[in-house]
Amino acid sequence: MASSIVDKSRRNDRLAAWLIKAGGLFVIVAVIGILLLIANVALPLFYSPSAEKLADVPAELQSLVASDASGTHQTRELGEKGNISVRLLPDNRIDVQRKMIEKDLLGNEKVSQQSYQLSDSLPGAISAVWLGRKGQNLYAATANGWLVRWDLADEGQGRLVETVEAFKDHRKITALTTLLGDTSLAVGDAKGQITTWMPVRKPGSGEDKQLTLIHHLPGFMQPVQRLVASPRDKSLAAFDAAGTIKLLHMTSERLLLELKAGSGVAAAAFADNGRKLVVAGSDGKVSVWKLSIPHPEVSFSTLFGKVWYEGYDKPEYVWQSSAATDDFEAKISLMPLIFGTFKATLFAMLFAVPLALLGALYTSQFMSSTLKGRIKPAVEIMAAVPSVVIGFLAGLWLAPLMDKNLLMLFLAVVIVPAMLLIAVFSWKAVADTAVGRRLKGYEFICMMPVVLLGLWLSGLIAPPLEATLFGADLKQWLYSSLGVRYDQRNSIIIAIALGFAVIPIIFTIAEDALSNVPRNLAAASLALGASRWQTAWRVILPSALPGVFSAIMIGFGRAVGETMIVLMATGNTPIMSWSLFNGLRSLSANIAVEIPEAPLFGTLYRTLFLSAVLLFVLTFIINTAAELLRQRFRKKYGRY
Amino acid sequence: MSPEPVDLSKHPPLIEVDKLHLYYGASHALKDISLTMRKNQVTAFIGPSGCGKSTLLRCLNRMNDLIDSVRIEGSIRLDKDEITGRSTDVISLRRRVGMVFQQSNPFPKSIYENIVYGLRIAGINDKATLDETVERSLKGAAIWNEVKDRLHDSALGLSGGQAQRICIARAIATNPEVILMDEPCSALDPLSTLKIEELIDELKEQYTIVIVTHNMQQAARVSDSTAFFYLGELIEMGDTKKIFTNPEKQQTEDYITGRFG
Repeated sequence: MASSIVDKSRRNDRLAAWLIKAGGLFVIVAVIGILLLIANVALPLFYSPSAEKLADVPAELQSLVASDASGTHQTRELGEKGNISVRLLPDNRIDVQRKMIEKDLLGNEKVSQQSYQLSDSLPGAISAVWLGRKGQNLYAATANGWLVRWDLADEGQGRLVETVEAFKDHRKITALTTLLGDTSLAVGDAKGQITTWMPVRKPGSGEDKQLTLIHHLPGFMQPVQRLVASPRDKSLAAFDAAGTIKLLHMTSERLLLELKAGSGVAAAAFADNGRKLVVAGSDGKVSVWKLSIPHPEVSFSTLFGKVWYEGYDKPEYVWQSSAATDDFEAKISLMPLIFGTFKATLFAMLFAVPLALLGALYTSQFMSSTLKGRIKPAVEIMAAVPSVVIGFLAGLWLAPLMDKNLLMLFLAVVIVPAMLLIAVFSWKAVADTAVGRRLKGYEFICMMPVVLLGLWLSGLIAPPLEATLFGADLKQWLYSSLGVRYDQRNSIIIAIALGFAVIPIIFTIAEDALSNVPRNLAAASLALGASRWQTAWRVILPSALPGVFSAIMIGFGRAVGETMIVLMATGNTPIMSWSLFNGLRSLSANIAVEIPEAPLFGTLYRTLFLSAVLLFVLTFIINTAAELLRQRFRKKYGRY
Repeated sequence: MSPEPVDLSKHPPLIEVDKLHLYYGASHALKDISLTMRKNQVTAFIGPSGCGKSTLLRCLNRMNDLIDSVRIEGSIRLDKDEITGRSTDVISLRRRVGMVFQQSNPFPKSIYENIVYGLRIAGINDKATLDETVERSLKGAAIWNEVKDRLHDSALGLSGGQAQRICIARAIATNPEVILMDEPCSALDPLSTLKIEELIDELKEQYTIVIVTHNMQQAARVSDSTAFFYLGELIEMGDTKKIFTNPEKQQTEDYITGRFG
């Protein structure tokens, strides 16, 4: 009989052990599975591009190579407005022909023809010419390394905008082309280097921007013969005399593909909206490659580095995944988002940790136990408030409120604590009287009117103060005299809203840890003549440090991953600024904002998944580090 | 303990309890207690569980203040100073009256920081003073040789007996006049108990000791005078030898001979 009970309990033990193991294993597998699923979507970003040479060349592509426009005679059709063509003359001048069609209201066309020569004195013999696709900018390069730019927008004449000494060693420039969007100029030279240039506003350069070297692309060992821009994105194909073809992307500075044409190349063009490359060899044979380059703009440096984008004055971290036009340069730096995530978390923690910890310390050590029994569940219910509600309140109620009463807020930050301090010192006089003893454990109730009084006082002082000191508008004053821009949805709002979400978590766990410190430690401290505050601060808090630390880290994890509040209260501006008055965009909010708009399996779509992987890894690292630290604390400080 | 008669003039009364009543809410826990503890003597409180001996001990350094529902009537004087009144500075009283608890309760800090805690909270941070205090206190608690090489290790790694002596060292670091011991050996093995008992014998040269114990032999071994409590009343108090050999009250005799309790 007895042995059967022992057997049965052993069996149950084994069963329970297996169930627990299986449950734990299932959780781990599920988490890893999710990670793999996300990573699987993000991974193709880093697959190598490929190209397939078509066996037979369709006839319509045969003729396409004729449109290769890299010669010295170039024509641009300007739609209904006519056309413009340039031709290099043997005497180093450029002939400009312009046909203009004007329609009057009745639909009668009036065609006018213009012709003029650009005869500015140039630093050397022209070796390459490129007329921008919009027919506005004319670029020429010289055999001794200079770049020349004209503006052909005005009728009847061309204006020489600038002459730039592109290469100090005066190497010959052999090929020019503008990339999609007509902003950046790709330059190939006799040394095989390929660089891109764009006009940048420089201090002291006045109205006009100056052509500036932006990107170095992977080049050849011998002179660049030809550059052809893709009509699809900021890619280009570069050719050398030996028939090597390199497909390059400007922003990511990546070598996407390297192809071999059998012989030298006589002409080349992209077809099928950039999905095919048509090349006519010097032997007259035409070959076509079908290109498969899904994510040319993605590289480690575009994701995490500073990049000098078109239209910017310097390299920067920028997230701007889409724009009004198709020829814009996608800006997919994740740094502003990582920055935003940490900024939101940091400010929220700065707001929440002191409040939650001091609250937990007070509740566990000083508050009367009946009151504690009510306060604690109340705070725990706070944790159950849906984050969308907090976000809604923060974005639509708190943000406009603070916008109106900014100075009052600043005053309150000073006045309320000052009044609390005064109240605490005056409390000493009351503490030992009958009233004081009756209020023992309920002292904080007396704080409430003080806080309200402080707020009221701040509200009273703020308007006249703002009128006299800040010209009746503090935000305007901030901007005009300190250069600080105030966004309505800013980091103060997010600190308060996100802080409000994590306070209950930190408070509850920390309060448990503090309450679990054995009473006899407090007794030992008190018996040595310590005050209650000294006991709480020097014995209870250090003893509970592992638990308190866990509380902070769990709060931290919540803040990092929180989406809804950040989404609704930050304004979602992906800027990198530590200013309290600016908004931000976090990784999680960014995913929520952009995933509905991202084309399936496009670069943006996969980049968003990559940021999800990043968020996952980030929280994993933080949690692991926190757990390791906590175990060290446990060893060092004790068991609670 | 010592065979020659005790010279009471060397041991003037230090703590005088006079007509003390203590209530936990409605329950009357201590009833009309009056007794005297003499300087540099060990006074033992004995009695069955719940007789109020620990409660009385806690009155001597006002640890009962921590319990909200306690009400005290009567008076306790420490060296002529009234310590039950509201005007008493509890913190300075506790500096004069140290305490060692039933469960050893070292702080989760280093041994060194445990000893100097009482000084640090009083604002003393001078390194030389702290070092000197640590050595004196640990030597005073007869544990210096065991821990002098690991003063900066956590006190949580010590054995029960060692931890209890650290607690004693911590209590004497602030140089109190009185040390209260609330069943200091009840959680210890016999060898550790012996060490603590020897320590108590040495400590009474400098300090006045009040000890609560369940262990009659221990009371007989370490104390000079003994008070026997029963149901919140002081039944009998006197010279330890007399209490254990020739008690006046029947209840006392029944208790010490093990007939109840």
